[in-house]
Amino acid sequence: MPLKLWLIARSVLIEAIRRREVYAIVLVSTLLIISIMGIDFFGLKELTKFYRESALKVMSIATGLTVVVLAARQLPREFEMRTIYTLMARPISRTTFLAGKLFGVMLAAAFCFLLFTLVYLVGTLYLGGDIPWVLFAQHVYLQLLTMLILASLSFWLSMMLNLDAAITIGSLFFLLAAMFTNVSMYIYDYADAFGRFVIKIGTFIIPQLTLLDLSERTTHAQSWSALDFTTMAMLTGYALIFAAAYFALAMLWFRKREL
Amino acid sequence: MAQNQPLIEVRDLVVDYGRKKKTRALHGVTFAVEPGETVGFIGANGAGKSTAIKTVMGFVFPTTGEAKLFGYPPSDSRSRLRVGYLPEVALYYPFMKARELLELYGGLSGMNRADLKSRIPNLLERVGLGGKGESLLRQFSKGMQQRLGIAQSMIADPDLLIFDELSSGLDPLGRHDLRDVLLELKSRGRTIFFSSHELSEVESLCDRVIIIHKGRIVKQARVADLMEPLNQYVIDFRLNGSAMPDAVAAENPQLENGIHTLNLRELDLYTKLLGALSDSGCEVIRTSSKTRSLEAYYTELVRGEDAA
Repeated sequence: MPLKLWLIARSVLIEAIRRREVYAIVLVSTLLIISIMGIDFFGLKELTKFYRESALKVMSIATGLTVVVLAARQLPREFEMRTIYTLMARPISRTTFLAGKLFGVMLAAAFCFLLFTLVYLVGTLYLGGDIPWVLFAQHVYLQLLTMLILASLSFWLSMMLNLDAAITIGSLFFLLAAMFTNVSMYIYDYADAFGRFVIKIGTFIIPQLTLLDLSERTTHAQSWSALDFTTMAMLTGYALIFAAAYFALAMLWFRKREL
Repeated sequence: MAQNQPLIEVRDLVVDYGRKKKTRALHGVTFAVEPGETVGFIGANGAGKSTAIKTVMGFVFPTTGEAKLFGYPPSDSRSRLRVGYLPEVALYYPFMKARELLELYGGLSGMNRADLKSRIPNLLERVGLGGKGESLLRQFSKGMQQRLGIAQSMIADPDLLIFDELSSGLDPLGRHDLRDVLLELKSRGRTIFFSSHELSEVESLCDRVIIIHKGRIVKQARVADLMEPLNQYVIDFRLNGSAMPDAVAAENPQLENGIHTLNLRELDLYTKLLGALSDSGCEVIRTSSKTRSLEAYYTELVRGEDAA
C-alpha cells in the first residue's frame, strides 16, 4: 500500500515539476518580491521587515493558489483523459488512489515552497537581515498544513462541482478565510444570540487559516519567540482534523461515483 | 479461486444509468468467460458492450445482478490482481515518459523494479514502440498512444486481458501487429475478452462470440459452430456410367437434366466426397464454395431482432 501510494503521488509530482506553470508562478512571484526590494521608502531596517512580510505573503498566496488548482484538476483530468480506467483497473482501492493523489499534491506544494524559500533566503541575506530559522521552519510547516487542508477541500469540491467552479470556490475560500475570521470576531459582540450561534458554527466548519500563518511573527522575530511543542502539536491536530474531514467527504463522494 | 471457475462471470446483470437511473443499459445480461478462451464481445454502438465491461471492472455499479472477476466482486481489489485492461480511448499523461508510465502501472500491479527494468524495453519493442521509452507522451500520436495502451495492459503479464474496442485508433499496420501479439498471448494460454466493431478480427481470433443487442445477449456460440451451418460447398457431377459411391449417395444428391448436385456444409466432407467421385470415375463438372462471414451473420441476426 505505501508503495502504491508513492507511485501515484510520484506521477502527480512529475507532472507538477514538468509543467511550466509552477515555474511561471514562482518567476512572477519572484519578480514581485524583487520589486519590493527596490522600494527605498522605509530605510534599510524597515525595508528588510517589509520585504520579509511581503515575500512570505506572496509565497503563501502563490503556493495556496497553485495547490488549489493542482488539487482541483487531479480527478477531472483523470476522467477527461480516461486514465482513471487504467489506474483503477489495477489492484488498488479508491482510498489508496485518492490518498496517493493528495500526497502527490502535497509533494508538489513542498516543491513550490522549496523554490520560494530559496528566493526568500537569498533576498533576506542580500538585504543583510537575520533569518529566524526556527520560526521560519515552523511557518513553513504550518503553511504546509494549510496546503493540506486546501488540497483536501479542493478534492472534495472537484467531486461535487465542475473544474472551474471547484477552482473558483477553493481560491475564494483560501483568500477569504482570513477575512471571515476577522469579520466574525468583529461582529460577534454586536450579534444577537442566533447570530452568535451561526458565527460559532461557522468557526467550527471553516478552518481558521490565520492560526496557521506565522508570517508576521517571522517578520518581527525580534519580538516573538518560536512556538512551543504543545502549541505546535495542537495546531497540527487542528489542521489534521479539517484535512481529514474534507478528505473523508471527498472519499465518500468518490466511492459512490461511477467512473 | 477454484480451478476451472470462469474468470469472468456475469449473472442477470441489470444496469440503469442517468440522473435518476431511468435509462436501462443492460437488461439481465448473463455470460461467462472460461480460462484459456478468446471471446469476442460484439454489438452496435450503444448496445451495452462498454457498460458490461465497465461493470465487470467495477467502474459502473450494477442495479441488480452480479459480476465477478476471478470469483471476486469487482469492488474487491483482489479481483484485479491478474487482469490487464485497455479502455476504449485513453490519452496518457502528456508529461510522463513511456517508461515512467509503464513503471507506474507495473508497480501498481505489484511488480518490482528489477522485473520492470527488464520487461519494459521488450514490451515496448513488442508493441512497435522500441526505443521510445524515454520519449514524453505528448509527442505520441493517437496510434502510438493506443500501442502504449496495449503495452500497459500487458505489463504485469496478466492471466486475463480485457480490451474495450480492441483496435480503436490503430492503423492497418498497427492492427496487424496487434493481431500477432494476441495470437501469441492466445498460444500461451492467456484468456482474452474483447469488444470490437471489426468482425473479421473477431472471426479470425476468437474461439467464441457473445453478441449483444440493445442491452440483451442475443447469441453466444463458438465461432466454428456459428459459421459452419452458414457455409455451402457445391459439387455438380455426372455418373458417366459409373456407380455412385455409397458415401456420395448417403448425402442425397439432387438430379436435374442428368446432372447430380451435392450441397454440403462441412469442408472435410466436401473434400472427402470430391476424392470419392474422382476415384469412382464420375465426371466432376463444377465445384463451388460459399462461405459466409460473421459480419453477414451478425447483420442478419440484428435485423431479425429489430424486426421481431
